[in-house]
Amino acid sequence: MASKEGGDKGKSSQGAGDNKEKRRKESILDLSKYLEKSIRVKFAGGREAAGILKGYDPLLNLVLDNTTEFLRDPDDPYKLLDDTRALGLVVCRGTSVVLICPMDGMEAIPNPFITQEG
Amino acid sequence: MLPLSLLRTAQNHPMLVELKNGETYNGHLVSCDNWMNINLREVICTSRDGDKFWRMPECYIRGSTIKYLRIPDEVIDMVKEETQVKSRSRSEVSKGRGGGQNMRTGRGGNRGAFGNRGRPAPLARGGGNQGRNPQQNKNKK
Amino acid sequence: MASGLENYVNQTVSVITSDGRNFIGTLKGFDQTINIILDESHERVFSSSSGVAQVVLGLHIIRGDNVAIVGQIDESIDSRLDLGNIKAEPLGSIVH
Repeated sequence: MASKEGGDKGKSSQGAGDNKEKRRKESILDLSKYLEKSIRVKFAGGREAAGILKGYDPLLNLVLDNTTEFLRDPDDPYKLLDDTRALGLVVCRGTSVVLICPMDGMEAIPNPFITQEG
Repeated sequence: MLPLSLLRTAQNHPMLVELKNGETYNGHLVSCDNWMNINLREVICTSRDGDKFWRMPECYIRGSTIKYLRIPDEVIDMVKEETQVKSRSRSEVSKGRGGGQNMRTGRGGNRGAFGNRGRPAPLARGGGNQGRNPQQNKNKK
Repeated sequence: MASGLENYVNQTVSVITSDGRNFIGTLKGFDQTINIILDESHERVFSSSSGVAQVVLGLHIIRGDNVAIVGQIDESIDSRLDLGNIKAEPLGSIVH
């Protein structure tokens, strides 16, 4: 991942416009490392899903297999319930993808900020 | 100073990111781009109401969904150095990231850095929402 | 840059965001999309039942999408405010 930040820093205060353009060819996100792995995706509007990444493109369109959607409170589109539903094979539209993280290592935890204080 | 220069300088520093959906993410900034898309590592995600928490080893966040980022105070002083270095060696812009790398020694810090400035992150956020029940706002729409 | 914000750089400003929050801090920088750097910032939390609470926040980047108003603060007037005794309804959020 760190290698992806390469070519950074064209940005100087003296408007080096051409460097700026050159610099942004590479995405800071390398989705290849998640291929065939389970990832969690959050969407604009509040939907959340998890599935095995089968494919992707630079616009962040994703192909997920064995997908589960995490259902939400009907009265609050940002409140997750414990319920899920199976979606199977899906294509996720890149423009609506808000967040991507690997399912491996993701876990719900008790409030970590209180324990830190105490 | 440009906001994205500051953000770039903040690489490898801890930060708090609040998204437009109200969730907050505490983690170390790994990388960012011109669209403010960011990669965080060792992340703690806090739900909008501050009642649920998740740990994630890393995550990618689309810049357009960010509301704001809280950055350690000292980072703003590092940006100046970086601009100076760059203006000296303008012809070698591609090597300019050395300035960023030198700062990586700061990596020992953790989320506690925010604690020094008053209060833990989710509480700060809760404070912001005080007396402004999200449900209430929603009903107004 | 024609946003007019350049006159406020290194001045104390008040930023009202589209979720109705009010941040006060020193404007250190901005860009074309009105992303804003606020240094030494604090949030003023308004409430109709108790005085204005000030929450210290430090260094911030506020994304331009989320910025509704940026106003310069006259510190001599501002320092005379008795915030502890000001009671006011918090702002609502912008409805799109």
